[in-house]
Parts: sequence; C-alpha cells; structure tokens
Amino acid sequence: MSLLPGINEATEPLELVNDSNEVHSLAIPIGSQWKVDLPSDFKLAITIKSGIAEVLGTELANDTEYHFQNWKFTVFAVEDVELSWKCTQSLQPKIESNNTASQIYNLHFALEKVRNSSFYGPKVLIIGERNSGKTSLCRILSSYTIKFKSYQPLLINLDPNESIFSPPGCLTATPISDLLDPQSPSWGQSMTSGATALHSKQPYVENFGMEKISSNKQRYMSNIEQLASAVNKRITSDALVQRSGCIIDSPSLDQYDDNLDDLEQIIQRLNVNMVVIICDDDGLYQKVNNRVKPIIGDLMIRLPKLSGVIETDDVYKRSLQRSAIREYFYGNIQTVLSPFTAGVDYNELTIWAPRDLTYDTSAGKDEALELLPVTLEASTLQHAIIAITYADKNANKEEVSKASIMGFGLITEVNEKRQKMRILLPVPGRFPHNAAILTSSRYLE
Amino acid sequence: MDPEAERIVKDFTSILEELTFNSRPIITTITKIAEENISYSQYFVDALENRIDKCVPGQKLYAFYAVDSICKNAGSPYTIYFSRNLFSLYKKTYLLVDNNTRSKLINMFKTWMTPNEATGGPLFEGAALERIEKFLIKASALHQKNFQLKLPTPTVPLLLRDIDKLTVLTNERLRNLPNDEKLLMKLNVLSQLKQSLQREKLSQDALRQVQLQLKQIFAQDQKVIQDSVRRQQQQNEQGESKQSSKDHTMENGSKETGSYNNNVHSESSTPFSPLFSSSSGSTPPVSSTLFGNISSFLPAQNFAEIERSNKISSLNKLYESLNEEGLLYEPPKESVVTLYNKLNKDSELSSINDTVKNLPPISTLQNILFDCKAYFSTVNINVSNIPSLQFNQQNIANKNPLVTNSLINLLYRVKSNKCSTCGKRFGNAPEEKKLYNEHLDWHFRINNRIKGSSVSSTSASLAAAANKNIQSRNWYLSALEWINFKDDFIVSTKEVVDEDRQTNSQNNRAGIVTLPSGGKISSATGSNVSEESLYNKFVAVPESSVDMTFKCPICKDVVSSVYDEESGEWIWKNTVSIDGKYFHATCYHETSKNSR
Ligand SMILES: [Zn+2]
Ligand SMILES: [Zn+2]
Repeated sequence: MSLLPGINEATEPLELVNDSNEVHSLAIPIGSQWKVDLPSDFKLAITIKSGIAEVLGTELANDTEYHFQNWKFTVFAVEDVELSWKCTQSLQPKIESNNTASQIYNLHFALEKVRNSSFYGPKVLIIGERNSGKTSLCRILSSYTIKFKSYQPLLINLDPNESIFSPPGCLTATPISDLLDPQSPSWGQSMTSGATALHSKQPYVENFGMEKISSNKQRYMSNIEQLASAVNKRITSDALVQRSGCIIDSPSLDQYDDNLDDLEQIIQRLNVNMVVIICDDDGLYQKVNNRVKPIIGDLMIRLPKLSGVIETDDVYKRSLQRSAIREYFYGNIQTVLSPFTAGVDYNELTIWAPRDLTYDTSAGKDEALELLPVTLEASTLQHAIIAITYADKNANKEEVSKASIMGFGLITEVNEKRQKMRILLPVPGRFPHNAAILTSSRYLE
Repeated sequence: MDPEAERIVKDFTSILEELTFNSRPIITTITKIAEENISYSQYFVDALENRIDKCVPGQKLYAFYAVDSICKNAGSPYTIYFSRNLFSLYKKTYLLVDNNTRSKLINMFKTWMTPNEATGGPLFEGAALERIEKFLIKASALHQKNFQLKLPTPTVPLLLRDIDKLTVLTNERLRNLPNDEKLLMKLNVLSQLKQSLQREKLSQDALRQVQLQLKQIFAQDQKVIQDSVRRQQQQNEQGESKQSSKDHTMENGSKETGSYNNNVHSESSTPFSPLFSSSSGSTPPVSSTLFGNISSFLPAQNFAEIERSNKISSLNKLYESLNEEGLLYEPPKESVVTLYNKLNKDSELSSINDTVKNLPPISTLQNILFDCKAYFSTVNINVSNIPSLQFNQQNIANKNPLVTNSLINLLYRVKSNKCSTCGKRFGNAPEEKKLYNEHLDWHFRINNRIKGSSVSSTSASLAAAANKNIQSRNWYLSALEWINFKDDFIVSTKEVVDEDRQTNSQNNRAGIVTLPSGGKISSATGSNVSEESLYNKFVAVPESSVDMTFKCPICKDVVSSVYDEESGEWIWKNTVSIDGKYFHATCYHETSKNSR
C-alpha cells in the first residue's frame, strides 16, 4: 500500500451548523434506494422520519440523526421512507429501485433454514468480480442474521484490501454478536477500554501486510491456514457461533491463480459448504462453477451484481483505508480514542518484513514464507504501520510468523542519530517487549 | 272534572301511553293538546309525572322529552307545576337509566338552564334546577371515581401505545383544522412524553399521574370523537324510529316523522330550543359553547365543574364503548404523566407552543396495523419446513411471495419494539420484552458513561485532563484467547459488580462497574483483563503522603490526585500500589504481562 497521505486529520465532530446548510426532506418509496455517492470531503447527516430504512442491512432508528463522512453507501427503503438530510455541500440525491433486494432476502432465509434445522450453521463463501458488492452482501447477510435471532455469525474477511474491524492489510474473523454501526465503513469498533455507543466486536486478526495477495500467495495461504485453524477451534468451542455459521468475504476473482487452486484451498481450509458467486460474466461463472462443483456439489448459486453498488475508484479505496487506520488509533466522532506515543530505543525493537515476491523474484518457493530482518532506518520505517506480534522480541522468525497479532503501531519519527523512534501505540504504556512485522501501509499524520 | 275535561285528559293519557319510543309526532301532538287546554294543565302534569314515575326505565326519557317540549312551547303554568317534583323525578330517573340515557338527560338539563326567549330566565324554577345541578355534580364525581378505579394500571409500553393512539386521533383532527395551535401543541406534548417515557424510568405513581393527565388533556378530543360516534348512533336510532312510527304517521296523516330530539337539534328552525347545540354540525364543536349564554345564572365555578364532569362522563362513555368493541388496549400499570408534569413544571401547556416544530408526519396507526398484519402473516410459519427456502439457484433467483409477503416481517415488524436509539428490534414475548428493557437501561448507562468520560473542552488544569478516564483501543486477543472468548461477555446488557475494584481499593467500597460495552467479565477469562477494569483501579492518597502527586516508575508520567466526590477523598486514578510503590495500573499490567 503506497503512501497514504493524511494531512493532520484529527477526528473532529461534523460541523454541520453551517448557515448554508439547509434541511432537506426526501421520500424513498418501498423497495427503492438512495445511493449516497458522497464525495470524500462532504459530511452528511440523515434522520429517518418515518418508515423502515436500512444501511447495508442495518436498520436505522427513527428520529435519530446519523452522521456519514468519507463513505459511499446505500439507504434502502424496506417500507416507504421519509427522511430529512443535511450536507455540508450541495448534494443531489438520486432514488432508484433496487432489483436485487428480493434475492438477498431469499438468500438470507435459505441460510436461515439451514441454521434452523441443524446445529451446524451454513459456511457460505461470497466470491465475485471486482466491485460487484461482495462485502456489501456479507454485511447485509450478517445484519439480517442477527436481526432474525440472537445469532453470532462469524464474519470472515479474506480480502486484505477491506478494513473490517481492523486496519487494511489484514485477514480477520469476527463474531457479529450485535448491531453493526451503520455510520462506519469499517463496520464498527473493535474492543476499546471504555464505553462505546454500540457493543464493540472482538476480531481475530491475521496480518498479511501487503496490498495484493499475488505479492506473496504462499504467505496469503499461510495466513488463511492460521486463520482457519483459529476459526475451526472457535467454532468447536462456541456452540452459538457454530450454529450461526460463517459468512466469508473474499478477494475479487481476478486475484486468484488462473487455475483457481487458491479458491479450492480456501473452500477446503474453512470447510465452506455453500458458495455465492456475484458475477455477470457467463464465461467466468462457468469456469468457477466447473472448479467448485466437484467440491461442494450443487450448493453454489449465482447473483447478479448488486443493485446498490456504487462505482468507486482506487482513490476512494485508499481514502477508506486511510480512515480505517485513523479510526484504529483515534476512533471516530462517537468514540474518541487517545493513542499513546512511546519513545523506543533501537535496541528495544525487532522488526521483520514479509517477502514481496513482486520485487524479490530470487526467493524460491520454500523461502517465500520466510521473514526478512528489517534494518532500522528512516527511509524504510518513517510513517510505516507495523504489526506487533505476540511473539517475544527475541523469538526466531518461524515463531514470529506463526504468532498472533496483538495490534498495530505507527512509526511517526525515526531519529537515526539518537537511535530512537517514536511509535504511536493504540494502548498507553511502553512498547511491548515483542517482535513486530513491517506492513506496506504508510500513514502520514 | 267535567266530561269534556275527562275526555281530553283521557285522550292525552292514552296518547302518552303510546310514547314508548322517541317519537316526534307523538310529542308534537301531546304538546299541542297541552298548549290548547291550559285550563287542564294540572291534570296533564299529573298524567306526565305519573307516566315518568311508572313506565319502564327505557321509556322515561321520552316522557321527559314530552315535558320538555310542553314547557318550552307552552311555558307557564306548566313550568311552574313541573318545577315542584322535577328534582325527585329527574333524580329517580337518572339513577334508573343507563349511561347513554343519562347523558341525554344531562343534555336536556343543560337546555333548561339556557335563558328562555319569552321570560329571559331558565325554563324551570331556580331552586329545582339548582338541586338537579348539585345532584349531577355529585353523580359525576362518583362517576369519575368509578372511572378512575376502572382505569387500567399504567405501564410504559401501554402508555406509549395510548400516546400513539392519541397522536393518530390528534393528527386526524389536525387534518380538518390544520391551523389549530392547540392541536399542534398537543402533538408536541405527546411526542415529548413519548420520548421521555422511552428514556426514563418512572415510578408507578408517576405513571398513574401521566395516565390521568393524558386522559384529561385529551378529554376534549375524545368528546369530539364521541360526538361523532353519537351522531352516527342517532342516525341509526332515527332510522329505527322512522320504521316503528310508520303506523302513527299514517293515522295522523302527518308527514312528520323521526324522533323528538333529533329533529330538534338538526334543524335550527324548529320552535324548540336546541338540545345538543354542541354537536350540531353548524356550530363549532367547542365545549365552551355548551354553556355559552347561561353564565348569568350560575357561578362560573359551577360551569367549570359541569363542563368537566360532562367531559369526564363523555370520556367514560367513549372509553366504555371502545372497550366493548375491544378497541381499547388497557394499560395495566405505569403511565405517561410525571413526564407531562416535568415538561410542564414551570410553564403552562401553552408555552410549549414555542417549541412546536416540524413534527414527524408518522402515521402511528398505520404502524400498529402493519405490525398486526406482519404478526398474522407469520403465524404458524416454520422456516425449516418450507421447501421453497432450499438453497438452490431457482429458489434464490425467483421472486418468492412467501418471503416478500410473510417471512420478511420476521426481520422487522414481527419484532415490533424498535429501539429509538439504535434501531434494534425486540419481539413481544416476555423474555424479549425483558431484554428490551435491559437494552434500554444499557443505553442509558452507556450514555452516562460516555458523557462522563468525554474530555471537557474547558478543563481547567492539565492535571485534571490527564486524569480523565482516557479511552483507547484494546490490543487484539491472541489466537488462544480468542478461541476461548465468548461474545456474551461483550453483549450482555446486565450490570455487574466488578470484584476487582473492591479488593484493590483501599477504601473498601463497592463500585458498580460495567465493562467496555457494559458487559461482564468472568474470572474464567482471567487472562483477558479488561483495560476498563484497570482504569477503574485507584488508590486513595495516603494521609501520610506529603505530595499529592507521584511519578509512575514505568512511563515516568506524573500522576496528580483528583477529588472523588463519591468517597470524599483524594485519589489517584488508574493506579495500583505494589510493595509500597505506586504505578499506573495499565502500565503495571502491561509490563507484568509482557514479562511473564
Ligand atoms: Zn438500542
Ligand atoms: Zn505509567
């Protein structure tokens, strides 16, 4: 992930009390949606006045103001909705009908039927083309699942470009045990030390640390293996999660190997028993179907590209990733967090880096998983996000690469002269006595 | 008595005997006879009094209508004669008849108080009317008491439902009178009451008060509705009497049909003074017009009482009729009214007017209907028994009416208790309602904590700010911790006592502490010490201590003491005492964890 410029973006409340702000009202007829294509510097507030409205499956409370910023999302009218909105800049809402909602409901109730008739919930993998609505579908299905009963479906994110309860670059597994935050592009808060307006979530985090899974497919598959191991153990020991099943988000199909070996591995590692493919391309569908059918039989269905998908570009995705990093350390408007800058001597640090095979073509297959020691110097470390592992600082590289991730630090300053760094930590205290892994994310405060 | 007189009185009596229903022609005939034979008035009065006394309760009112008609058209001496026994007859009748007839008697009485065109005074002698009036006030008070006893015990959900109903009714009235500020104000009061009810916990007494005041504030609205109900009833009655009086009209050759008081109040051109001026379509349905021009005869205070008792009795009637139809959901306990008191503490209701803003045009009745429909659409549906929910391409891709018409409701309206803070829905089963209440309490606690911990921009000293309960992201769990973690620790909305805090505090006081998301932590997950519980550790500054600050040996930060109002002591927050040394609880925990 190349440099993510972020010019001193402290978290500040929406300044919506601007003279130029008018309150507008908007009606969304049943079954239609407002695709909120919100430019990144706009701030929007929405209050549902009547009817049932939801943002990606999460129903909004009526007469409560919701704030949105730096996010493109969809407000869907389950029933006729009247709402009021105000925005810092002028916005032209467009209402259009949603013609995939009924299929999502069908899908939800089909999964519900499985949960209802067995102790083993569905483990459904969502795959599809780029920008087809995979993550949105996962989010909607997760929300509907907890809406129906007090289930705790396990949301598994295998796409390191998405930031779900974590900074980008991670693979995560998170029991969705309560409401998602409809205002949050990263779905809500992971645990904090204090009170949060909604119940926070407790993710398990694997650090891939690079942007493209093709940069080191072996490392990616090894991440999945470790994640799957934790997930399968959790499922065995947690009856509620087991019954609720898994909803698995994945990288777009173009990122897999051409023979789809990695897709097959994912299905097998995570014991996937149902697949949903969102795909308008018949050829691609046929290809995937041929590969998947022998593994899971007929339990693959196809959906068209979701109606609510908003076309986005890389600039937008970068800004989402940047806000996910900011949110990890600083929280958001509702939950303001105070990170801590620790002064760390060089000798207190051990930093490793995964191999990026795009550049490091010399590495053989066996060496792909090997971590490389990182020389402590400003040019590589300034503004870098590092993953702090649970492995001891002096542990060997095999141990480090197998260790769980404790959290992330941001190297804000490297002083080569004094052999010191300043590292922003989420938790106050000293820098842990643990080994760290360099990620490709850079964040300029 | 001469034969002629005997014949006329006999005729009169036999016609009177026919007055077994509300017949305008009969009453008109009787009135005519009485008018034309004033000399026999004494006999007619006897006959009528006898009739009122002896006939079955259901027919007494019609005899009274005859008295009313004679007195209003013939006047003296009938008015004088009738005044003698008027009170006892009226009282006796009132006590025997049903509530519907009672209100008709009361309405008739009201017209008697109206100044008579001819005399400029009330219809009957003042003393008789006064006694009736006193009697009615007493009766209404009794009524009111019974009514209160009959009021269901208020609960928050039931009061909410009442409020919703009143909102609908008021909105409906507002549609006809869009500029009525009183109605707008009432709507506003309702919405504020609703919000407060949802937000706060009220005692039983408070709720009862809310309930009664709701009833009072909306007595008038209910009267309006009641009037329209009554008008409908009268139309039905009219229909009935038309049929049964057919024979008489044929005999008399008269074209006049219908009942006495109906025609009286629906045609302003009749010679009779209107009985129900308030409900007639031509006059505005405002209660003050009921008593508009009799103020010279009764002290104002009495009007107010009559007005009020009238309102209460109509409310009572409405209540009973709605109840009979099964349209009333009876709030058992708690109700909405302290709220109203709170809102209205310093100011009269009218001042709330200023705050009337654009209220949500939400049709609550529609909501209730949808909820009911949703509920019925899902009765006896079991998701696991539906073949069309099998996971296959056809089932997912095609429109499934069962999903779109029925099942979808399981996600929304079947769980009709929607949290107004976060939108989460809860069902109606007792355990769901319990969860709902716990959920609301949880919001309340969390909001208080969020308010309490937010850094105030006007914090006086840096030291104070440094000691604020600072919130930060937690470290993620290790794989092993995560595998054994149960999310119930996060999502439980129950309050728990954190034992950790008690044992670590030098002053042995119990503190109720809720964990990060208001959840609990169990000793089984000992490895998973919450940051929150660390921050909640504190040490009271020892009396021997010279300095009110200490330096944390780990992070080298200086920790200042803060005054803890609860204990009345100076304390160091986020602090533990280890072997006589003081540390940040968080620093100490991190360090010991990392070095183990
Ligand atoms: Zn809530
Ligand atoms: Zn410290």
